[in-house]
Amino acid sequence: MVNLLQAEWYKLRKTNIIPFILTGPLLVLAIAWNVELDMEGTEGFQYIYTSMMVNLVYAVMFLPLMTGVLAAIICRYEHQAGGWKQLFALPTTRGKVYVSKFVIIISITLIMQLLYALVLLAVGLMKDYGEPFPMVLIVKSVLGGWVATLPLIALQLWLSTLFKSFAAPFAVNVIFTIPTILVMNSEKFAPYYPWAQPFAMMYIAEDKRDVFFIPWEQLLTVVGGSFIVFFLVGYIYLQRKEV
Amino acid sequence: MITQLLRAEWLKIKRKGLWFLALLGPIGVVALQMVNYGVRKDYLLAQSDDDWGYYLSNVGGFTPMALILGLVILTSLMASIENESNGWKQWIALPISKMSVYASKFIIVAVLLFVSSCVLTILTLLYGRTLELGENIPWLQLLMNSFYPYLASLALVGLHLWIAIISQHQGVTITIGIMGVIICMMSYYLPDWVIWKWPTLMNDWNNPLINVALGVGAAIILLVIGMWDFNRRDVA
Amino acid sequence: MEYIIETKQLSKTFGREKAVNSINMCIKQGEIYGFLGPNGAGKTTTIRMLLGLMKASSGSIQVFGKDITKNKLEILRNIGSLVENPSYYPHLTAYENLEVIRKVVNVPKARIDEVLEIVRLSDVMSKKVKGFSLGMKQRLGIAAALLHQPKLLILDEPTNGLDPAGIIEIRELIKSLPAKYGMTVLISSHLLSEIDQMATSVGVVSKGELVFQDSIGQMRQIAKSKIIIQCSDVMAASERIQELEIPLEVIQDRIHLSQPTDQCVAQVVSTLVHSGHQVYRVEEVKRSLEDIFLQMTEKGQRR
Repeated sequence: MVNLLQAEWYKLRKTNIIPFILTGPLLVLAIAWNVELDMEGTEGFQYIYTSMMVNLVYAVMFLPLMTGVLAAIICRYEHQAGGWKQLFALPTTRGKVYVSKFVIIISITLIMQLLYALVLLAVGLMKDYGEPFPMVLIVKSVLGGWVATLPLIALQLWLSTLFKSFAAPFAVNVIFTIPTILVMNSEKFAPYYPWAQPFAMMYIAEDKRDVFFIPWEQLLTVVGGSFIVFFLVGYIYLQRKEV
Repeated sequence: MITQLLRAEWLKIKRKGLWFLALLGPIGVVALQMVNYGVRKDYLLAQSDDDWGYYLSNVGGFTPMALILGLVILTSLMASIENESNGWKQWIALPISKMSVYASKFIIVAVLLFVSSCVLTILTLLYGRTLELGENIPWLQLLMNSFYPYLASLALVGLHLWIAIISQHQGVTITIGIMGVIICMMSYYLPDWVIWKWPTLMNDWNNPLINVALGVGAAIILLVIGMWDFNRRDVA
Repeated sequence: MEYIIETKQLSKTFGREKAVNSINMCIKQGEIYGFLGPNGAGKTTTIRMLLGLMKASSGSIQVFGKDITKNKLEILRNIGSLVENPSYYPHLTAYENLEVIRKVVNVPKARIDEVLEIVRLSDVMSKKVKGFSLGMKQRLGIAAALLHQPKLLILDEPTNGLDPAGIIEIRELIKSLPAKYGMTVLISSHLLSEIDQMATSVGVVSKGELVFQDSIGQMRQIAKSKIIIQCSDVMAASERIQELEIPLEVIQDRIHLSQPTDQCVAQVVSTLVHSGHQVYRVEEVKRSLEDIFLQMTEKGQRR
C-alpha cells in the first residue's frame, strides 16, 4: 500500500498539479479581499463574516467541481497510454490502486482547505481586521468542508475511472452541483442533499456540542451514507473494469 | 467545402453524448424551477405582481450558468474527440483548409447551443402555462429570456473552443470553465467588460442588447483569432 | 506442477461473439511458446485473461499450477507482461516510468539501469516518453516487463513497430531468457517466420479456437513434400497412374502426388515412360510453414 502511494505520488509530482491546487486559495483571496466589511454587526466577526461570503461560491460551487477535476487528473495519465493495463498486471490489488488514488485526492483537497484558512488569516492581517483569528471555528469549518467532500470525491473518482474524457464526469458533477444553489435555501431539503453538505459543514454556526457545524445524525447518515455508497460503487467497478 | 465538413463533424459527434447534453441543459434549467415552484409556489407568486416576468427571471437566473458550463463541456468534447484518437493529423492531412476545420467545430457548438435555447424556450413556455401565471404570455420577453443569453455567450464559445484546442490538457479547460462560472455568479460586483458577465445580460445601462452585441462581436473576433492561431500551429 | 500455464476450456464472449472458444493451452517450464494467429483471432483476449485483466466467460486458467482467480497477486508477482500497445506515462521520462513500476514491485533501483541496458535505452532514459518512436516505446515496455525478474514473460506482439535491427535484437534477447534466467516465455505474433525463429513450441489460434498446439518440430513435420509431374497428354497419363491405385490430383495440367514414397515415384515414372508419355519434369515441392499456417487458419475461418 505504501509502495503504491509512493508510486502514485511520484506520477502526480511530475505533472503540473500545483496550479490546480492554487486555484482554490486564489479564489478565496480574490473574494475575501473584496468583501465589504462596513456593514453593521460585523465588528468582532470580520473573519467569520468574510469566510461566509467566500463560502457562498467556494463551498457551493468551487469545492464540489474542483475536486472532480482533481479526480480526473489523477486518472488522466492512466487513460492516456494503457496505464490501467500496466498497473493491473502488476502484483498489486485493484482495491489498493483505488484506495491510493482516493487518498491522494483527499490529501490534495485537505491541502487546499488548509490554504483556505491560511489565506483568510493573511487577508485579515493585511486588511488589519484587528481581532483575534477564530482558530477553532475556522479549523472546524475547513475540516468539516473537507469531510463533506469525501463522498463527492468518491463519486468523481468512480466516474473518472469509468470515462477517459474529463467532460463526462464533469457533466455529472455539474448536474448535481448546480441545484445546490436552490437546495441550500430550503431548510427541508438542504440536510439531505450530499452536494449541499460542503456548504453546510463550512457554514460557521453557533458553537454547539457537536464537533462540526451540523448534527451528528446528519453527518453520519447523509455524508457517511453517500460516502459508503459512492466509494463502494467505485471500488467494485474498478475490480471489474476490463482493460 | 464547409458544408461537407459540417456533415462530417455531425457524424463524428455521434454517440458522444453532445446531443444528450444539449438537451439536458435546458431540461435541467426548467426542472430546477419545477422543483422551486413545486415546493413553494404560493410564496413565489406572492413575490411579484408580474407572475410571468418573475417566473422568467427565475428561469433566467440559472440560464447563464448552464450555458457557460454547457459550452465548456461541448467545446472540450469537440477537441477531445480529435485528441483522444489522434484524429487531428488524419483530419489535417485531408485536402481541406485548417481554418475551415476550426470554423466547423465552432459552428457545431453554436448550433447545438441554439437548439438548447429553442428547447429552453419551449419548456419554459410549457411549464409556465401549467403554473397558470396569467393569460397574457409575454412572448417577446420569453424569447429574449432564452436567446439573449445564448447570443451573449457566443463570445465564450469562441474563447473556450480556442482554449480547448490549444491546451491538450482537458483539466486546464475545465478548470478555466469552473473559474468562469464562478466569475459569472459574482458578476453583480464586476465591471461590464468581463466576458463571463455578458450572459447574465447585466450592464450599467440596463440594456441587454449591449451584451448581445458584445457577445456576437467578440465571438467573431475570437473565432478569427482562433482560426488564425490554429492555422499556424503544428499538428501533433 | 506439469505446466507453467494451463487453460481448460477457456472462453470469452462479447455479446454474441465468441472471441475465445474453449482454448486448452499448455505451456511447459522453460519453453518459448509462440502464440500464432491472424489479427483478431483472439490472441490478445486470451493474454488479457491470463493476466487477470479480463475475466473469463467460462473455463479455468492455471498459472504456476495455481488458479488465477484465487491467487492472482501471487501469480502476477512472477509475471512480466507487455500487452498489445505498450503502456507508458507520456509525461514521465523512460527512467521515471520504470521508477513508478519499481515502487510497486519493490526491487532495487539498480534493476532500472540493468533493464534499460538490456533493451538499449540507456542513452535516452531521461527523455520524456511522449517523444519516443513506437519502437522505443515497445522496448521500454519490454524493460518494464523484465524489471522484477519474472519467471514467466508474456509478450503480445513485441516486435510491432521495431526496425529490422531491433527485431533481431529483441529476438536474440528473448531466445536467451530461458537459458539465462530459467524464464518461460509466451510470445504472440501474426508472423509465422518470427515465431519459427525463436519458439520451441507453437499454438495456432484462429477465430477464437486453438487449431494446433505442439512443438515447433512437429509443426515442421507437417511440412509434407509433394511430387509434381509435367508430361504429355495429362488426362491419359493420370488414368494410367490411377490404374496403379496411387492417389493423385490434377491441378493446372500437372499431376500432383502427395507424400509419395520413393518406390511409388519410381513406379509412376517408369509406367509413364513405358506407356509412351513424354515426361518433362518431375519436381519435389515442400510446403512452407506459411502454407500450413494459412491452411490451419482458413480451416478455422470456414466454419
